Amino acid sequence: MRSSMILIIAAFLLLLVSRSVYVVDQSEQAILVQFGEPVGDLVSTPGLHWKKPFIQEVRRFDKRVLPWDGDVSQVPTLGREFVLVDTTARWRISDPLRFLRSVRDEQGARTRLDDIIDSVVRDIISGTSLEEIVRSKDWTVDAKKLEELEEEVVTRQDVQLTKPKKGREFLEQEMLSAASRLMPELGIELVDVRIRRINYIDSVRRQVETRMISERQSIAERFRAEGQGRSSEILGEMSRELRTISSEAERQAAEIRGKADAEATRIYGEAFGADAEFYAFFRTLESYSTMGANTTLMLGADAEFFRYLESTRRRPAGGR
Amino acid sequence: MSTPNDQLKNLFKIVRESGGGGKQRNGGPNAPAPDLPVGWIGIGIAGLILLWASFSSFYTVQPEERAVVKRFGAVIKTSDPGLHFKIPFGVDSVQLVKTERVLKQEFGFRTLNTERDRTQYASEDHPDESLMLSGDLNIIDVEWVVQYRIAEPMKFLYHQRDPEGTLRDISESVMRRAVGNRLGSDVLTTARVEISNIVRDEIQQAMEKYDNGIHVVTVELQDVVPPAAVQPAFNEVNESRQERERMINEATKQANQQIPRAKGEANRLITEAEGYATERVNQAHGETVRFSSILAEYRAAPEVTRTRMYLETLNEVLPKVGAVYVVQNGSTGPIPLLNLRDAKTVVAEEVR
Repeated sequence: MRSSMILIIAAFLLLLVSRSVYVVDQSEQAILVQFGEPVGDLVSTPGLHWKKPFIQEVRRFDKRVLPWDGDVSQVPTLGREFVLVDTTARWRISDPLRFLRSVRDEQGARTRLDDIIDSVVRDIISGTSLEEIVRSKDWTVDAKKLEELEEEVVTRQDVQLTKPKKGREFLEQEMLSAASRLMPELGIELVDVRIRRINYIDSVRRQVETRMISERQSIAERFRAEGQGRSSEILGEMSRELRTISSEAERQAAEIRGKADAEATRIYGEAFGADAEFYAFFRTLESYSTMGANTTLMLGADAEFFRYLESTRRRPAGGR
Repeated sequence: MSTPNDQLKNLFKIVRESGGGGKQRNGGPNAPAPDLPVGWIGIGIAGLILLWASFSSFYTVQPEERAVVKRFGAVIKTSDPGLHFKIPFGVDSVQLVKTERVLKQEFGFRTLNTERDRTQYASEDHPDESLMLSGDLNIIDVEWVVQYRIAEPMKFLYHQRDPEGTLRDISESVMRRAVGNRLGSDVLTTARVEISNIVRDEIQQAMEKYDNGIHVVTVELQDVVPPAAVQPAFNEVNESRQERERMINEATKQANQQIPRAKGEANRLITEAEGYATERVNQAHGETVRFSSILAEYRAAPEVTRTRMYLETLNEVLPKVGAVYVVQNGSTGPIPLLNLRDAKTVVAEEVR
């Protein structure tokens, strides 16, 4: 009987101790709540802690940086293009007491964050052109230099390649500071707001793809035309060179022949000039020997050749 | 990060200790209160508790791991690989973190398994992750990998909730910023290395800002391509570039074929002319020498030589000539002197 009494008392003491001791994890901070009313200081050191049993409750809050992931929302930009924007944010519970009073727990905080961040993102995106959102401060593309360097760039009328006035980081900064304005009263500190994804909606995307295709095709056409042009150029040059070579050769040949002819004429002239009359005779005789079977020769009966056909009498020679 | 074995033990412990009702954190032994035969049951329970305590007071840290040890929820130390002691009964708890292993996150694709000899990739794409806008507002499909290590397990566990999810979000955000800050054509070609370096550095900066103990080892771009619908057009550009080169090459080839040939032809023409020139001059020399020698002879006896030459020539010529007519001065028609051809035909007819 006595031993069972001891056991009952021991059990009661254990229950009491287990109700008055609580553990705060490394990642947590805690607030004690008594009848729904926060009491005492914030417990932020991890380890074992005491509380009044049964009447005090522990509310734990994460000390760490917490993720917030927004829903993908469809927003028009300043240029009226619809884009899908997916934002992500990081936050922490900076004032657990206020946090407990205003949003109660993380779930409550998340719905408030959804409202605030979503609306800030929408405001900022819809007041900004798409280029501003996509590009950043350190944008260094120089449109003029580009045309000289890149053979593949087609100058586009719809997109200016100018440096953004604000740029992506600045817009993210704006989002952060605009959303942060409402945070202190929730006991929340926004650490970071970032655009995780931004893209065209499907219908616009298809249009952009069609535009990209036609852009590529025009580049392809240009390459082909360039090929044809270069080819004609080379062939033209070739033809010119061929003509130059052959005409040059013909000229040289004619020159050489002409010189030779002149030389021959000079030689002939020198030699034949010694006795022009005899040369005429000599040359005429030579030309006779070219007569052949198709020649009909008509000779006078008193020709030199027939002189002795009539008589062998001596006649004065030389009468031709 | 605790092993399944630890978790099982913890569960076992909770069931045993709390006797229902109490939460895990309420800890503290809450022994059952049996009023029946205490002796054997008590000894049995004590034995079981002792046995369990002796098993749960050691833990092993593998070479690639570090252990973070908490006592009543507060971190007291991190321990290196080896066998270590801890206080049982849920007072000390151990979380193991793989600090030495290089982990990776994939964007735009997923590795199915790396077993067997080659890596298999999941066939479905993740266009949400990989499609992004370039600075000239074109669409680009970028797939990449982020390799990282958990450098400081303590920070990894207690500075941020879900640091790996954060790494993922930040990677996507930073990659889109880097790609959006360049022209699509650059991203596809020359800027790959630059982008992966910038993205690595910026992710690392963000991780340091959150102080979450993650060290980014490297960022590797994988497939960087235009969106699927546009790829045929990109191929067409490549083909047409090849075609351009081919056309130029063909023209050059033709030129290379024809010009040397024409040069050879030209040289032939010139050489021929030179040959002609030599021949002509030689001929002239030969003829004049011959003439000169005949002339010298002629001068010695002009009349005789003249007649001789004349007669010799006729002698030579007349047999070859087809017909010779002798014409008498004052007569009307020519008188055929020789009509060998007609005579021949007559003879031939007679024979027949």
